[in-house]
Amino acid sequence: MNRKRLVPLLMMLIATLFTTGCWDKTELNEMAIVSAVGLDRNKEGKLVGTFQIINPGNVAGALQGGGGTNPPISIYRATGDNVLELDSLASTKISRDMYFAHANLVVIGEELAKEEGLNDIFDAFERSPEFRATTRIVIARGVKARDIVETLTAIDKVSAEKVIKTIETTEKTQGKNISINLQEVIKNLLSTGKEPIISGFTVKGNTGKEDSMENTMSSDIEANPNAVGIGVFKDGKLIDWLDGDKAIGSMWVLDRIESTNLNLDWEGKKDAITYQVIRQKTNVGAKLVNGKPKISIKVRAEGDIREVNVPLNLTDTHVLIDLEKKLAKDVKKEMEVAIVRAQKNKSDIFGFGELMHESHPKEWKKLEKNWDDDTFPKLEVDVQVETFIRRTGLRNKPFLSNLKKKDQ
Amino acid sequence: MEKAKISGYQLFVLIFLFEMGSALLVPLAGEAKQAAWLVILIAMIGGFLLFFIYYGLFQYYPDQLLTEFVKQILGNFLGRIVAFLYILYFIYLAARVLRDFGDTLLTFAYPHVPLFFANAVFILVVVYTVRKGIEVLARTGELFFVLENLLLMTFMLLIVASGMIHLNNLKPIFEISGTELMKMGFTKSVFFPFGEVIVFLMIFPYLNEPQRLKKIGIGSLATSGIFLAIIMAVNIAVLGVDLTTRSQYPLLTLIQSIEVAGILERLDVYFLFLLMIGGFIKISVFTYVAVTGTANVFNVKQPSRLAYPVGIVILLISIIMASSYTEHIHEGLGAVPRYIHLPFQVIIPLLLLIIAFFKNRKKGRQASK
Amino acid sequence: MASFFKQKRQVKQREKKKEDTGQSKSKTPDYIDSSISANLEKVKKKTGNSPDIIIRTLKIGQNPEIKTTILYVQGLIDNPSVTDFLIESIMKNPHLSEKILPQEALDVISEEVVSLGGVETVKDWEKLFLSLLSGDSIIFVDGINIALVASTKGGERRSIQEPSTHLTVRGSREGFTESNATNIAMLRRIINSPNLWIESMKIGTVTKTDVSIMYINGIVKEGIVEEVKKRLNRINIDSILESGYIEQLIEDQVMTPFPTLNHTERPDMVAGNLLEGRVAIFVNGTPFVLVAPAIFVQFFQSVEDYYNRFDIASATRFLRIIVFIISIVGPALYVAATTFHQEMIPTKLLVIVAAQRETVPLPAVVEALLMEMTFEILREASLRMPKAVGSTMSIVGALVIGQAAVQAGIVSPAMVIIVSITAIASFATPSYSIAISARIVRFGFIICAGTLGFYGMILAFIVLIVHLCSLRSLGVPYMTPLAPLNPEGLGDTFFRRPMWAFKERPKFLANENNLIREGDNQRPLPPESRGMKTSDEKKGEGNES
Repeated sequence: MNRKRLVPLLMMLIATLFTTGCWDKTELNEMAIVSAVGLDRNKEGKLVGTFQIINPGNVAGALQGGGGTNPPISIYRATGDNVLELDSLASTKISRDMYFAHANLVVIGEELAKEEGLNDIFDAFERSPEFRATTRIVIARGVKARDIVETLTAIDKVSAEKVIKTIETTEKTQGKNISINLQEVIKNLLSTGKEPIISGFTVKGNTGKEDSMENTMSSDIEANPNAVGIGVFKDGKLIDWLDGDKAIGSMWVLDRIESTNLNLDWEGKKDAITYQVIRQKTNVGAKLVNGKPKISIKVRAEGDIREVNVPLNLTDTHVLIDLEKKLAKDVKKEMEVAIVRAQKNKSDIFGFGELMHESHPKEWKKLEKNWDDDTFPKLEVDVQVETFIRRTGLRNKPFLSNLKKKDQ
Repeated sequence: MEKAKISGYQLFVLIFLFEMGSALLVPLAGEAKQAAWLVILIAMIGGFLLFFIYYGLFQYYPDQLLTEFVKQILGNFLGRIVAFLYILYFIYLAARVLRDFGDTLLTFAYPHVPLFFANAVFILVVVYTVRKGIEVLARTGELFFVLENLLLMTFMLLIVASGMIHLNNLKPIFEISGTELMKMGFTKSVFFPFGEVIVFLMIFPYLNEPQRLKKIGIGSLATSGIFLAIIMAVNIAVLGVDLTTRSQYPLLTLIQSIEVAGILERLDVYFLFLLMIGGFIKISVFTYVAVTGTANVFNVKQPSRLAYPVGIVILLISIIMASSYTEHIHEGLGAVPRYIHLPFQVIIPLLLLIIAFFKNRKKGRQASK
Repeated sequence: MASFFKQKRQVKQREKKKEDTGQSKSKTPDYIDSSISANLEKVKKKTGNSPDIIIRTLKIGQNPEIKTTILYVQGLIDNPSVTDFLIESIMKNPHLSEKILPQEALDVISEEVVSLGGVETVKDWEKLFLSLLSGDSIIFVDGINIALVASTKGGERRSIQEPSTHLTVRGSREGFTESNATNIAMLRRIINSPNLWIESMKIGTVTKTDVSIMYINGIVKEGIVEEVKKRLNRINIDSILESGYIEQLIEDQVMTPFPTLNHTERPDMVAGNLLEGRVAIFVNGTPFVLVAPAIFVQFFQSVEDYYNRFDIASATRFLRIIVFIISIVGPALYVAATTFHQEMIPTKLLVIVAAQRETVPLPAVVEALLMEMTFEILREASLRMPKAVGSTMSIVGALVIGQAAVQAGIVSPAMVIIVSITAIASFATPSYSIAISARIVRFGFIICAGTLGFYGMILAFIVLIVHLCSLRSLGVPYMTPLAPLNPEGLGDTFFRRPMWAFKERPKFLANENNLIREGDNQRPLPPESRGMKTSDEKKGEGNES
């Protein structure tokens, strides 16, 4: 009985499997793997999309024999009114399906970010099941997005990867950039109590030749994409750039510093001592004092002394305490400068508003409306920093101190 | 009734997977924002109350299926009609879950596959299972229970490892007032998924240790409720309220944003696996119940012969019930709870329980006299 | 309707058969004649005058001499016992050289002369032939319609050797042979208990193969032995040439790629299974002994797991499960990931795989099926081939598939890697029978993955699990102790609990009244003084100082 039923069942299964064809099937050699997307605005106000497509044969290199002389990426461009139109227009130029699931990088032109803002762009990315939520977003600073997408690079053959890795390493070692993905940007765009910040990227050097293989032939690469500063947004539009100390200060407030170097002046000598932060924790609290919101920030940082270019006795605990105090003052200054800048921009990139919302939901309803334009710029922020020097490296005294003795 | 027995643990597992089934995927109690998890817990308590109604009915007729004791309570004619209505209700629910499932699949992974085909293959697997009977279904459930928990556990581990949980996203909890939360908890969220446990009135009689039913039922409802609440809380903690409620499938969005060690990314398959295990058990339970119920009402000797026809009916309903996913969800949140869930999950069982109470008291009196 | 008729026809046929067998039973048996020449004539006629049936005529007694004939089959008998203990004893016995009556002669022969273990009398031809053809010697005495059967079974047989399947590093080196008697004796040597019970029967209307059921009385679950006997008695077939015949005739479900009875060549494995409450079925003529009921996890266990320490055994078992999963889904996973779910593969890996596939003209599914087929062909060829050509084969296989196909760009190197891993994985499963199942299932998975990607694969997986859950072996659900869950039984599945914690036999197999395996507190208790100590210690007690 059972068997009689099983046979037609199996037959039906097999029949359906074979007759249906394969709707969503794409062989690897029928698809163009997009690794990066660049979005610009041209003079007429239309969107210009630049798609970086990987040539697998040239990346994988040695195996197929051809690698090295041919470019690992190909570039396709399209102009249109919205993102999907770009996609379909670019597709007419490629023999294969464009596949976006590996597009790890979206570069947005500075002009586009400043004038049109991000709000109109991201829906297509977010809605598509193909696009990743973890795609990194970068702003092309001073150049067009296409310049960054087009550039050929040396070590990481696909430049999208080079850009992502550069941001990640600079964030990790310097704290001057922020690696932020699509989902986080959208979350911040939506939130009334937080504004997004996005890293800037630029190509320095010989612009014009960056898309030819010659660029990678030399050991001293001329056109090289590098990270510069953090872009500040307000209402979805780019309004300011944070560089150097201000960028680091913002990262301190955001609790995104993993490790960074602090340079300390000592007895008139500039940047004489370098302190490396190993571990840090920033706690931000929101309070209401007399009905007015107040933010208090507490930072606790631990680290090592890495370089001392003045004769200094590091075995003396008093010296260390002095150093710690000075360091704390420096960090505090960095942070305060960053906060003042943000208040001037009227852009709450630190998410103080969100914090208020979480801790004082009822009052937030009143504050929410005027937060960006009124409350945030006048917000009282109290910063407290504690720094600790845990170790001083392999030597206790710098050899400079002994040199001086000889001189005497 | 099939000649079969299932153990208490098997029933526990079936109820658990059944509850997790499609509830895992949608933004459950999304309108409660940060307090969604709380609303789920409140709804769970509502679920307990409903369960006690069903349990009361079961105690009066411990060895009869829902379709059988309805006839005892309401008389042959009326009873048959109500039993038939219940069968239609189960078929409709099976079709709803199937549609949920098919649409999800098409949205996130297979945009070009026709819905009919995706659903057809799935219902074929369900029919294959249903024909094997409740024991095989229960045993399959046991294995899938382990699998589902393993998946959920690794997935929690990955989320913790990728450091995405921001508990601040869960604050403030009481942005919405308590009474409002209670209201949400005791309406929609009770019916789906907790009230659907009424189908188990067609499975309880197979239990080999009926005296433990109360513990098992409450236990599995509580476990699944807590799981659902935790998952919803994690959803919100990672994605934030906005993104969670804006997502069709928050869990999918959550899984897609996992990024661990640069290798574990885009684990959509995880989601697919969770989706299919839960969906499979849920649809199978509904289909099985519809098949045995039909066999019972129409006195069919071999219930397994009905599996194909019932399967085809479910498939067709799942296709024609809505023209778009939006419409489907809209129905699911609007009309279905009010006009379908409420009478079938609350009103009719309550009436049945009251009638059964009086009838049995009368009987009891007669017996004592 | 068609099916209805078919059923009726079957019923009729069955009834007819019943009548047939009934007739044969009611037929009066054919008895032995008292005249020796008539008997010999009959033997010759029945056996077609086969030359290997030796007829040796002797004369015993005096005045008159009585003709006595010894019949045996050359090669089946043990030569020394026939010549020394039968012929020689009859010829040299003093009683038999005196005057003697034929009736007495038979008694004397059986009681005083024949110095062999088993001697019995037969009257009908059927039994006589059965004994004769299984290696016994028959003694006719003229004038008496009773024959003597002396047990002289023997002859050339394969000696006990190391088994060729289920190899182990540690453990007994003995493997079963083709002789039932030897095999049963090997078990007796391991399990020295009167409760080791054996029942024998002959199955096969032509071959009359010896089949023995062995179990340990008191440990085996009630009903299981009866069930086995019932199923064996149902068998009505002309021949049983291997235990596989029995296996296919008594299993619970026919339409399944999975083995629902286990077989082994190792006596220690059978002993272990008997002690868990299983039943062993010995079939004469094959070293493979059936063990029933079988459960799924059993096919991932090796006897060595119990000989090694539990942590190592558990790790190996875990590995085997992973290996089994790889051997089922390996290529399917590759196909699904590269044709449907490219987003899952890390970008760098995807680029490498894409570069390899750039020149491959075939779709990934076809490529996978092709390579799997090639592998199966290679495997089958190397199994059946004379051993001398083996090395040629492997060279051709490795060169053609590993190198030429890749260099020609017909298949991608990644595919070759995947197929090789799967191939190795399928050989790492300890039980050959489940490895074969995995191979068949694998093709199904590849096709599903090729049509619907992971959706198809998960559907196939669900069907597989449902199917496994629906199987039973002699009434025991196949997936026990996983489903239905048996918490105590879990200790011997994917991991193995330590030997001192094996308190009970598995409940789903063994008799529930006799579950205790070992005493309490079996955990080894080394002298305490070795660890950290705080209390006052007595000097010189286990201390090194």
